[in-house]
Amino acid sequence: MALRRGRGIATIEYPTGMNQGGDPSQAWIKIKPDGRIDVFSGTVDLGQGSKTVHTQIAADMIGVPYEWVTMNNADTDSSPVSFGTFASRGTFIDGNAIAVAAYRAKQRLLEVASRMMEVDAEDLDIGGGEVSVTGAPERKLSVEEVASTAAWSYGEMLVGSGAWMFPHVEPDKETGECEPHAAISYASCVVDVEVDDETGEVRILRILQAYDVGRAINPVLVEGQIQGGAIMGLGLAVLEESFPFYPSLEHRGAQLGTYVAPGMRDLPEMVNVVIEDPDPVGPYGAKAIGEMANNGQGPATAAAIHDAVGVWVTEMPARPDRVLRALEEPREPRRDGRRVIFDEHLSTATVSSREPGPDGWLFPLVGE
Amino acid sequence: MKAVGASLPRYDGIAHVTARTRYVDDVRVPDMLWAKALRSPVASARILRLDTTRASRMPGVHAVVTHRDVPKNVVGHQEVWGIDPDEPLLASDEVRFEGQTIAVVAAETEPQAQAAVDAIELAYEERPAFTDVRRAFDAGQPQVTPTGNVYFYYPDQPQRQIRKGDIDAAFAAADVIVEGTYRSQGIEQLPMEPAVAMAIPEPDGRLTIHSATQAMYYSMDITARHLCLPMGRLKFVGGTVGGGFGGKLDTQVEPIAALLAMQAQRPVKWRLTREEEMLCSSTRAYCHVEIADAMTKDGWILGRRTLSLHDAGAYMRTSAYSCSKHTFHLAGAYTIPACAFNTFVVMTNRVPSAAMRGFGVTEASFAVETHMNRVAEVLGVDPWEIRLKNANRVGDSSPSRVVYGNPSTVSTLLAAADAADERLSGEYASMTNHARGGELLPAHLVEQQSEPRTHPLAWRDARPAFEGGK
Amino acid sequence: MRLTVNGRMHEIESGPLASLLHVLREELNLTGAKAGCQFGSCATCTVLVDGRPRRACLTLMAAIEGAQVTTVEGLGVPGDLSPVQQAFDEHYAAQCGFCTSGMMLAATALLHDADGPLEREQVVEALEGHYCRCTGYVKIIEAVLAASRGETGERAPHQLDIRVAGE
Repeated sequence: MALRRGRGIATIEYPTGMNQGGDPSQAWIKIKPDGRIDVFSGTVDLGQGSKTVHTQIAADMIGVPYEWVTMNNADTDSSPVSFGTFASRGTFIDGNAIAVAAYRAKQRLLEVASRMMEVDAEDLDIGGGEVSVTGAPERKLSVEEVASTAAWSYGEMLVGSGAWMFPHVEPDKETGECEPHAAISYASCVVDVEVDDETGEVRILRILQAYDVGRAINPVLVEGQIQGGAIMGLGLAVLEESFPFYPSLEHRGAQLGTYVAPGMRDLPEMVNVVIEDPDPVGPYGAKAIGEMANNGQGPATAAAIHDAVGVWVTEMPARPDRVLRALEEPREPRRDGRRVIFDEHLSTATVSSREPGPDGWLFPLVGE
Repeated sequence: MKAVGASLPRYDGIAHVTARTRYVDDVRVPDMLWAKALRSPVASARILRLDTTRASRMPGVHAVVTHRDVPKNVVGHQEVWGIDPDEPLLASDEVRFEGQTIAVVAAETEPQAQAAVDAIELAYEERPAFTDVRRAFDAGQPQVTPTGNVYFYYPDQPQRQIRKGDIDAAFAAADVIVEGTYRSQGIEQLPMEPAVAMAIPEPDGRLTIHSATQAMYYSMDITARHLCLPMGRLKFVGGTVGGGFGGKLDTQVEPIAALLAMQAQRPVKWRLTREEEMLCSSTRAYCHVEIADAMTKDGWILGRRTLSLHDAGAYMRTSAYSCSKHTFHLAGAYTIPACAFNTFVVMTNRVPSAAMRGFGVTEASFAVETHMNRVAEVLGVDPWEIRLKNANRVGDSSPSRVVYGNPSTVSTLLAAADAADERLSGEYASMTNHARGGELLPAHLVEQQSEPRTHPLAWRDARPAFEGGK
Repeated sequence: MRLTVNGRMHEIESGPLASLLHVLREELNLTGAKAGCQFGSCATCTVLVDGRPRRACLTLMAAIEGAQVTTVEGLGVPGDLSPVQQAFDEHYAAQCGFCTSGMMLAATALLHDADGPLEREQVVEALEGHYCRCTGYVKIIEAVLAASRGETGERAPHQLDIRVAGE
């Protein structure tokens, strides 16, 4: 007959790029005769903002204003390979390909400028759309002049192309040993809930998170990922499921409404901290954020529910009926010597018709 | 002004707020046909008869495709990594999940296409369905595939496994062993834009395919292989999608729209209804994880055993990939010297599961972090403190023996605690990610320590241009 | 049948049982209203009918003959955005953009009826039937509140607490 509050925490880690690598990305860049930059990338923007982040990387790598860069990713005739927008690889792997392409396009600009200014390319910098001599910034040319001279006077094309990949690795069959990813991001999550112990409803009041993303190339877009991910995590934690009575195939929700997904009213308070601990390999130190943003809330909520009402709901989502069932039929773990065994009624040992093998494992681990 | 680090306006911001952003469903071409699909009404059946003759003669119908029309009907999503193809683009002699695509019709209007679908003659013999991953090895269960209900990563080993350290010694030395079961449900990716593709036959014999895929070359490759065409004959147009979250990777809509377009010699758009999105296209996998942790009474994790059962649904798609990824993250953010992890890919008569934000790791994080809180409670140890002492540090090694160069678990924990006004005791509040020493290096972790090596792959094809910020 | 859309009158060829969504998208080529669910659940098809937000997918032509319809295309154009459109852009309230049209139209109606700045609860009550999967709703609510206060013209800063490691 009460609303009870609780707090739970979780700390998570998540890899950047496809597991075990082998997912390449490519980019190519051309510079127009007035110095404007065309980037061709195979990245698909799903809304996470890759078009924005990639133009930022290209602009800074070459040394021109952000507004000078156009992003072209529309079709496979002009766009090179990106393995795809998934596995949290867009900023890191696609971004690295673009950075390499931009670096090479910049070298071409410097070659031409070097010829025009009769200074070694190594003694030239590009910044703010201008090529200047290191240490003597009054000696400069605009990037427009350099690009125009290249096209019309020298008859040269200014292009840079690049690719990046973490090579594919196979894990050892027996030990699993391998290095499966290019980088890892980290986060911690604190969830405060209110549980109605009469209806079983769990309301998430606040989600507080700290993410290490290496470098936030566009902080407001990082914030957007964190916020969107948190609400998706809320859905995982308390609302959503495709097969509500697993293992039954029945009673699936076919529309929004019968499938319960987070709405505006579910929005809790959110506090977000971002730590920038640059990665040595990511573009400008950046690592991934996209997927891990929905991983911390589920376990933190399960712990918060326990803190609030003293029961463990170890199925996600913590639906009201699951909470109520746990409250009404509290199960103490079985104690057997040093062993504390929870959830026996759910385990394979209970449901399966098999007997454990001599190694204690229920399933045949053939080849061990 | 530097662009990196600045909250610059979205590249597509103005386009989004003026609805100038063009999604696939917004593309307009003359003479376009609409597609509708016949789908399996049951979870498992043998197809006895499939006759589209009546359907193809119905008003407005310009194309009907079944398995007979697909140049290469079975193409795997992960063939390049040695995972055998198993899923037909269009069902031929059987269906293995409710909603599986059997035939697709293209007609002048959606109602005409649907009427033709309803006129397709389908006779089938329903079979019992296998639906509970926990019975994966039980005798007498319906078999989803000809080789059973469990995928074999190797001919003599079904599971993806990690073996590190001496697990038996760890469990023998434990003060307490805490065991639990954690189950995360399958969920929908639920992008606001349903899956859609439009295929346009071009005068030069090529096909332009407007696609909402998350991966253009990936989908183009799968499409090319189904159609037995070189990539040069296809042009995928996309790059702007109304949300994906992993649900727009499995490639089915594009090859089928292409086949219809080739047959009709007219543009064909296939737009899934929300019901089809929810019921017939891939979900996140249901995942059942059992954990046993060997603990000292003051909260050190000596060893961990896991059993994970991943519900791949009726066809493999990318589940073998996901289960490997899942396995590598079952130690969570902690350094565990002895690990015995076993992950099984289990086939069921369910919609095939696929990528969804966090793919495999979400399920692992739910299991290991909920378990960690439970362990803390059983031992009477503070949940912050148990995490801080076991957290990865520089020089620690992962379950797959990656040596950590710069893990941030400690710093994110401390930042979260600080922001949440949690008072941590002195020694915990001043912990760092630095290599273990003193009390943070108990005997059982000594063998974990290694020198992290410089990442061997810092920059391909260019010098490390980010050092020094140049 | 006749329909005025964004101030322009059209003779509609589709029949009386056609949905407004079908008429807008397929007949008039106004694709800003989206076909997210065609069931009235997601609200990506929201347009204003005589100033009121309606689900175009559930609105039959027969029910709205002669009505004044406003779609997102009638709100504003690049270079001449409505206050709501400007607020959505400045507050980064669109990620994939698919739900944006419906959200903005509902917000426009809300602001039109409101007597000055809105409270957060008013925004949630008016817009809670609109699904968004990308943003987590935070910046959408902030955009609508800002528009209601006439606070446009400046990009909204993020509210992250960014800490550089080692500092």
